[in-house]
This record gives sequence, C-alpha cells and structure tokens, in this order.
Amino acid sequence: MKKWFVLHRKEWLEMTLNYKIIWIPLIFVLFGLMQPITSYYMPEILKNASNLPEGSIIQIPMPTSGEVLTQTMGQFNQIGVLVLVLAFMGIVSSERRSGMIKAILVKPVSYPSYITSKWMSVVLLSAGSVFLGMLASWYYTVLLIGDFPFIDMVKGTLIYFIWILFIVTFTVFLSSFLKSSGFVAAFTLVLSILLSLLTSLFEKWMEWSPAQLTNAAASLFMAGDIEGPLLLPLITTVILTALFLYLATSRKSSV
Amino acid sequence: MEVQSLTKSFGKHVAVNDLSFSIEEGHCVALLGANGAGKTTTLEMLASLQKPTKGSVSFLGVEKKDFREDIGYLPQYPVFFSWMNAMEYLVLMGELSGMSKAKAMARADELLELLGIADAKKRKIGGFSGGMKQRLGIAQALIHEPKLLMLDEPVSALDPVGRREILELMKLLKETTTILFSTHILHDAEEVCDDVIMIHKGELAVSGSLSELRRKHQEDVIVIAADENLDAWAGSIESWDVVSKVISANDKVEIYVKSVAEARTQLLAEINEKQLPITSFTVGQTSLEGLFMEVVGR
Repeated sequence: MKKWFVLHRKEWLEMTLNYKIIWIPLIFVLFGLMQPITSYYMPEILKNASNLPEGSIIQIPMPTSGEVLTQTMGQFNQIGVLVLVLAFMGIVSSERRSGMIKAILVKPVSYPSYITSKWMSVVLLSAGSVFLGMLASWYYTVLLIGDFPFIDMVKGTLIYFIWILFIVTFTVFLSSFLKSSGFVAAFTLVLSILLSLLTSLFEKWMEWSPAQLTNAAASLFMAGDIEGPLLLPLITTVILTALFLYLATSRKSSV
Repeated sequence: MEVQSLTKSFGKHVAVNDLSFSIEEGHCVALLGANGAGKTTTLEMLASLQKPTKGSVSFLGVEKKDFREDIGYLPQYPVFFSWMNAMEYLVLMGELSGMSKAKAMARADELLELLGIADAKKRKIGGFSGGMKQRLGIAQALIHEPKLLMLDEPVSALDPVGRREILELMKLLKETTTILFSTHILHDAEEVCDDVIMIHKGELAVSGSLSELRRKHQEDVIVIAADENLDAWAGSIESWDVVSKVISANDKVEIYVKSVAEARTQLLAEINEKQLPITSFTVGQTSLEGLFMEVVGR
C-alpha cells in the first residue's frame, strides 16, 4: 500500500511538472463560464455582429438555468472528453514505449498497483476538473440568468461524472494494451461518440447505455427530477468500468 | 541461483530454449552470446519482467515466480524520468523497493558517492551523459541491496573510457555482490568474470568457470612471421609430433603446439638450420575468442 502511494505521488508530481494539473481544470472552468455568459449576451452579440437591416427585431428567449447547465454538460461531452482523452491517452502506453514501465516493474511493485495508481490520479483530476467546471457554470448561471438549487447541480454533476469515469477508465484500459497513444485516443473517442449517437437514435434498446447517464443528468437539470432510466445505466456503467479496470490490471505477460 | 529448463517462445519463434544453468553466490558470471541469442530475454525472465513459457528458477534454494526483492536489474537501455534529478529518482526507486524514505536517501547518497556521480545528484537526469546514465542505472539496481545484480549489456553502448570505468566499477562491486551480466564481447567477460555461460540461438552452448574453460579449450600457440612466404615450410612441419595444427596465411604461420618448451627448441633449431628470414617469433596462448567463434558460428 505504501508503494501504491509512492507511485500515486509520482503521478501527481509528473502532472504538476507538465502543467496538466493546471490546464485541464482551466479548460473545464473556461467552458463552464462561457456557456451562461454567451447565453446571456447572445442577443447583444447578434445585434453587434450581424449586419441586419435597421429596425429588425431579434427575439431569442432567454434559456432557463437548467437549460444552460445542460448545454454546459453538452460542451463538456465534446471538448471536455476530447481534452481528457488526449491528456491521458499515453498514461501507460508512453511509459511502455519509452521502457519506463520496465524500470518501475523491475522493482518489487505489483502491476495492478502500478495501473491503479495511475488510474486513480486520472479519476481524481478529471473529477476535480468536471466539478470545478460545473461549479463555475452554476455560479454564473445563478448570477446572470436565474436561481438554481446547488444540490441539484451537485447531484446532476455526480451522475454525469459516472459517464466521464467510464470514459477515462476506458482510456486507461486501452492505454495499457495499445502501444500507440493515437489509437487509444481514436478508439476512445469513437466509442464515446458511437455510444451517445446510438443512445439517442435507439433510445428503446439502449436504456442500459452509459450515455443514458448524460440524459438522466440533463433531465435533472431541466425538469428538477430524473425521468427515464437511471438505475440500469448506472449499474451497467459501474460494471463496465470495473471490468475495464480489471482487464487493464490483469495483463502482465510481456511488459 | 538455479535455472531449470527455462523456455520462452513468442508465437512460433523460440527465443530461449530449455536453458539450464546455475550461478553461485559471490561469483561474477557473464552471459555471452551473439546479438539475438536470447540474453536479454533470459535476464528479463529472471527479473520477472517476462513470464517464462516453461521452466523454473530457484533462488537460494527457494523456488518462486518473483525474485524482484533480491534482484537488481540494469536494462540494456536504461531509461529514467528525465524531469527528476538523480537523488529524487533513486529515492523513488528505493521507496518502490519498500524502503523508508530516510533509508532510501541515505542509501542513495552512499551509492552516488560509490559510483562517482555525487556532484550531479541535484541535476536533472535529462542532461546526463550516457556514462552517467549507466552509472545511475547501476545505482538504481543496487538501491535495495539486492543479492544478485543483473546487468544487461552494461558497456556495449559506451565509449572506451566509459567502458573502462564501468568495468573497473564491476570489479569493485563483485567483491560484495553476485553479478550476472550479459555481453557479446568476450574480452569484457574475460576481464571481470569468474564464470561464463555461452548461449547460442537460445540454447546453452558452453558453461563453466573461466579457468576451466581455459584449461579445456586453450592451446599454446607459436606465431612466426617472416619476410618471405612460409607456406611450403609450414606444410613440412605439420607432421611433427609436438604440432597439432598449422595455419599459414601470408607471411605468418600459426603453429598450435602440445608442449611449448619442446616445440620452441625444435622450431628455433629448424629456423636456424634453414636460415628462415623471420621477423618475429611469439609464444602465447589462444584466447577464448576461438571457442566463442566456434560456438557462435556453428
């Protein structure tokens, strides 16, 4: 266990030195801020940017607070996932390629603790980023658009984070199997897009899909309570996450 | 350490085949073989970095799968976190071996001193030279005071000066630790080792102590060089009792003899009598190079 913490600390040290610890949360916070601000100022922006004829009236209904939070989540699902996947695609594969993994595993360290220490650092950093981003979005939404219960925001973010947890675990899993970081990113992004797309296209058959968690969080933001499936996707996502983590730790044959 | 019929295959390709050998405590053993003979694979299996397809390894009489606690390993191309400094890296490695931070630091200090890179301990590893990295690699292998030190091609990538320094260092280290190192250069093995294990295409070719191998495989040889071609004369002495083999090339004749003293007298007398225009007359011994070439080249 002590060795696990030593490895985990090394991960944080590395993320500090390559500034991942700063720029990943920063991107989330930035996109969190932008959503309520652009929603609020959209009429102004349109007025100034477009050369509409004099006297034309633009009427854009002000979105509700819940809608803004849902849109923020949508941004996170695109740019946020991209950032996380690109940041962590090489977490194992780059050390495998450089041979660093051998230098570590030649010491009496177990492979599962090597992987889980990395996984935990990824999970903590993405959790921090997502929550900070949502917090920023919530703060400006309340300031500019209208009140929204803090507790609902936290609940929705928690549900949404399970989906992110699934994505980053899949990233770590692929990274531990594939030599090329590029493939890791490509496969993970394809999976996340495919799951989201299929879930919205075939809602009836995809009730188990991890991407349903995004829908559940969205309905919590918009309607105040969850309509549609929650328990089923939650269970499959947790099981799939555990499975991928297990698979990531169980491969050792040739380092 | 006892190794029993160790085998590793990658698909159809068998990298190491039924390899058995033993290493005695306190000895320095060289694992010799050409490139691709399976040296690295063997060492990585011993270091539990690869799972053997078959076979077993026992260490101090205990048979286990994982001896990493007792083994220090220097990979062929050691890599480090270039953003760490030497001290940080050694402490990290020490802690990963289960040492307390304070103990790891004390040990790291001691090793950096021993390996002669103490003045670089606060420098980032990214700026180290090849020789310094090799030293740091040896330091990280020794950090947890292993019973066996395994070095994979420790001198192959170094310049002559670096190579000399590392070999001197190994001589020093072998006083206190058992060393197993792989190399494809016989000369290095002869210089620092007690025992050699030669492998060829993944199979054990020859193993034994150097002195034993010398006794068995080494021959006395007299080399005569002259101003003129000695082929004809060389043919005439081939039938002598004391001569076992004659190789004549250009103006040089290598005469493998059974007894140096006898052959020398006879040859000198012969040269005197025939008035051969010799330029040099050297008495010596074959190196193990011949044996190595025989093993590798067959």
